[in-house]
Amino acid sequence: MLPTHCPSCRSQLKVKCMKCEQCETEVTGLYELPVLALLSDADKNFILKFVKYSGSLKAMASDLKLSYPTVRNMLNEIISKIADYENK
Amino acid sequence: MKTNEFGSLIFNPFKRIAGWEAFGIGLVIVVLTTFTGNFAGIYFDGVIDMHFAETFDSLKSWLMIPVNIISISVIMWLAGITVSKNFRFIDILGTMTLSRAPFLLIALASFFVKVPDLSGIMQDPFVIFDSISFIIILIFTFPIIIWSVTLMYNAYKISTGASGQKLNISFIFGLIVAEIITKIIIYQIDKFI
Repeated sequence: MLPTHCPSCRSQLKVKCMKCEQCETEVTGLYELPVLALLSDADKNFILKFVKYSGSLKAMASDLKLSYPTVRNMLNEIISKIADYENK
Repeated sequence: MKTNEFGSLIFNPFKRIAGWEAFGIGLVIVVLTTFTGNFAGIYFDGVIDMHFAETFDSLKSWLMIPVNIISISVIMWLAGITVSKNFRFIDILGTMTLSRAPFLLIALASFFVKVPDLSGIMQDPFVIFDSISFIIILIFTFPIIIWSVTLMYNAYKISTGASGQKLNISFIFGLIVAEIITKIIIYQIDKFI
């Protein structure tokens, strides 16, 4: 799992270095993590399912054996988290 | 079944059931409650209350089903609009209908109650002590009402997706307004029957 927060002070981490396994080239800098990478595994799984179900919350609710408003509330929470990350 | 799963099923089944499914199950239970209440001589004349009647009118008891369900659903929907968006009326209607399920237990228990002569209750309140079963049902009523209100709260929370103070204040306001409106409508029905 990709670490997204500092284990010492809990601040959000940034990407400092990326490496090509083919030619060993290293690219160094200070890059922001993509918003999706900042979400929890559960949230990422939810988004993956959401895409696989073509955005149908009804189909997702049926698959997860949850009610429609419960699934919609889960999506709203993720939307809220994404908005928070984007506004930081 | 784990304890927390059982608790979730009892107090917040709406995580798994909402919309038309909740409405269908809830309506069957409400009809059973009224049917049983007809034999026991008990009215469910309000969003969260019930009363034994000296002279029972079956038509009135059946009319109370749509009055109770529609008033709580419409008022909670209007309350929800003020604090949330993108929620469906059918979820409010379905979950609020299912929230009335605990009243079936009161209707069933009332079947075995010997109701004392309540005509003189204003002169002598101790008349209720003439029947032990009546006192037991009065005590039994409180946890059932708390259970039903808890279900309504969770129904409102899940259906609207609201949270925090907005959720609590709008729910309490909605419940009080719905109870008042229900009483007014039932009073008007009383005048026509």
